[in-house]
Amino acid sequence: MMNSTNDTNDTNASLELQRVFEELKSMFVGCEVSQIEPTQFKLIVPSDKMLGMLTYLKGIGYSHLSIITCVDWIDEKKFELVYILFNWSNGVTFLVSTFIDRDRPIFYTVKDMWPTAEYYERDVHEFFGVEFEGNENCKKPLMLELWDDLPPLRKDFDPLQYSKEHFPDRTYEKDPIHEARIIRGDIEGDIEGGEIDG
Amino acid sequence: MDKIEKIDERGVWEKIADQLRSRSMWMLHYCTGCGAVELPPSTTSRFDMERLGMGPMATPRQADLFLITGYLSTKTLRRVIYTYEKMADPKYVIGFGSCTINGGIYYDSYSTINRLDQYLPVDLYIAGCMPRPEAILNAFTKLMDMIRKGEADGWKRYKENYEWYKQNQLRSLGEVVVYDEFHE
Repeated sequence: MMNSTNDTNDTNASLELQRVFEELKSMFVGCEVSQIEPTQFKLIVPSDKMLGMLTYLKGIGYSHLSIITCVDWIDEKKFELVYILFNWSNGVTFLVSTFIDRDRPIFYTVKDMWPTAEYYERDVHEFFGVEFEGNENCKKPLMLELWDDLPPLRKDFDPLQYSKEHFPDRTYEKDPIHEARIIRGDIEGDIEGGEIDG
Repeated sequence: MDKIEKIDERGVWEKIADQLRSRSMWMLHYCTGCGAVELPPSTTSRFDMERLGMGPMATPRQADLFLITGYLSTKTLRRVIYTYEKMADPKYVIGFGSCTINGGIYYDSYSTINRLDQYLPVDLYIAGCMPRPEAILNAFTKLMDMIRKGEADGWKRYKENYEWYKQNQLRSLGEVVVYDEFHE
């Protein structure tokens, strides 16, 4: 942190942050704040107040959108959308997150506030299946081409099974892990010779 | 594929050509995965690939050797097949590291392939994660030896078994055509 040598600046900065948090809590009812690191805070907002929150934060200096990402809480049946905002004047990062319904994953685009968001939203749509209303390119494939299965970063998607179906494995006549256990002395047995297929 | 006893079917001129080919190899500058990081020390002064008569080449039309350096995602594999088919005969493929052999640590990934020889004919594999430049240079001398003996015949196998390779490519990729929205 740039002000770490100066105590008065430090207290001023933290007082300033406390004022911002109090303002946020009074303006956006239901907003929760928690500290992760000295310069990193997590804000959880109800989904209907999210856009207002982002607009307000952009206005007071948290104007750098580092990334939009998503977390799949499969047991709670929720997707958590996380917007990471950075303030260049005091070096503070806010992780602004909201929970949306997993069965009906639709949210609103922020590409009019941050043009780069278009690509982050396409990324989230591709890997989690969240739709962003207002982003007309949202469903265009970005990294996966010709994808025909569940979005791959959802928890109910099984990558091993997909890999087995699409990309056949090499088969070995001998089992190297079994042999390694014999060599290490974990189990007893003989090492048999064998040819590798392919 | 089954291993069969290989008979040297080359004519005299091809034998002479193979002697010459093995002494002037142009390596295509195309890096697919993390193994690419081992190439700068191999090409530059410390290990110096040029003393073997090899050099990097920017275009597939004039390259002889295609290195698949590390893991291959399906998206990259489309470009790799496209590039391989653009190269002129004779052409040789070396698979780098364990990812091209059996998937390596990406064996359960939804987007990386598990074995390269299903899609392209591989002349030589280098084991390791990653192979050191010594291993790479060792592989190059081995490949040159194979070319002289007529054993590096991947490009012929690709022509003979084109249907089999195409079938594998289509099963894993769906479509081999390359679309690129930034150049449409």
